[in-house]
Amino acid sequence: MLIEFTLNRKRVAVEAPPDITLLTLLRDYFNLTGTKEGCSVGECGACAVIMDGRLVNSCLVLAPQAAGSEVITIEGIRGPDGGPNDMQENFITYGAVQCGICIPGMIMAGEALLMHNPNPTRAEIRTALAGNLCRCTGYQQIVDAIEATARSREGNR
Amino acid sequence: MPRFDYVRAGSVAEALRLLAEPGLTSRPLAGGTDVLVYIRHERAPFDRLVDISRVPELKIIERRGNEVVVGGAVTYTEAAESPLLRQVAACLVEACLTVGGPAIRNMGTLGGNVVNAAACADSLPPLTCLDTMVHLRSLAGERTMALSEFIMGPNRTAIRAGELLTHFSFPVPPDGARQVFIKLGRRNAQAISRLSIAAIGRLDGQGRADYVRLSPGAAMPTPRRLTEVEAMLLGQVPTDELLIAAGVRSAEVMIAVTGRRWSTEYKEVAIQALAERVLRRVLVL
Ligand code: FES
Ligand code: FES
Repeated sequence: MLIEFTLNRKRVAVEAPPDITLLTLLRDYFNLTGTKEGCSVGECGACAVIMDGRLVNSCLVLAPQAAGSEVITIEGIRGPDGGPNDMQENFITYGAVQCGICIPGMIMAGEALLMHNPNPTRAEIRTALAGNLCRCTGYQQIVDAIEATARSREGNR
Repeated sequence: MPRFDYVRAGSVAEALRLLAEPGLTSRPLAGGTDVLVYIRHERAPFDRLVDISRVPELKIIERRGNEVVVGGAVTYTEAAESPLLRQVAACLVEACLTVGGPAIRNMGTLGGNVVNAAACADSLPPLTCLDTMVHLRSLAGERTMALSEFIMGPNRTAIRAGELLTHFSFPVPPDGARQVFIKLGRRNAQAISRLSIAAIGRLDGQGRADYVRLSPGAAMPTPRRLTEVEAMLLGQVPTDELLIAAGVRSAEVMIAVTGRRWSTEYKEVAIQALAERVLRRVLVL
């Protein structure tokens, strides 16, 4: 079936079977492999993307469910010059990245949080990351990086 | 060949027509957070999913006189963010906030949680406490029944093929009643309930309980209020002694329903403590 939606601010249309997930659609039909497949059952958050302003696990969204929606993946998060944005820079600065497989989902969760709550407490940041597993960093540095991003964005407002 | 087809409904009438279409098995798709996990392991027991997640009539949250109406496709996030539900259904809001992580709450729906009817479904204790009625619609007409009758056992409900859970309704709890939901899971985030409990309570001017509702989750095969325990407290001052006795009685009622099972050793002490704690929080603290 024809699935039309907005992907990283561009209108797209793709012919795909109705029984695949949004995760498969993104990775195999658009070659956007930044979105990772961890568990495929909604437990790990590696596949998180933003759909219509809300964080979702793309492994639990049927591809045609995205029709008419606005989807942002990690490929759609970047700075004005095309390089890393401020949150991505902060992940590097704060040592929040080790193996990296959870990071696209972590960034999406962080960006989704700041869309709705530009000035979160550390507890709110932890709650926002509750669905994202990281086996390497111990989360501390990830929380630090998101907190620093929120503070500097607030300061620049 | 795709395993199944997908179609999106724009209205309840259209959804009912699609669900009843002869020649193929259609099932409603709300948030998809249960269906998509299921079809990873099992053959899809349908030929087509009818997406009802964007039907405006199924997204309402509103007060109608002394009743609150909540649409079946309302997500946990939408319920938790609703000013009306925060005001009149705090135990439901708390329960919604313990479901999964944010990404699950953004997709999963109350209707899906109830129709799926997992014994551990987090929305069941608060909805039971609130005396929720379930409203169903099919091409044949409408049916309404109490939530406790609608759920017939773990993963079993009274819903019929071609029927849609359109909305829930419950009376607004009395002014000043406090509501609390507590859940025990294996970890803090994203946990499946081992045991949970919701309570609503209020004291009169003399410090006596004049309104008590108590309902545990993941404790019994079908959700129900612990009316035996509520009756012990009504009209009484909630002393330590009485609250401890209420905890003990809660465990007795649970065991009378379920019998002694492998999990009883744990659940007996856990429900006793949880019931006492939740009642203390609505009636004392
Ligand atoms: S791959 Fe989607 S949550 Fe793990
Ligand atoms: S950096 Fe390795 S899982 Fe998070």
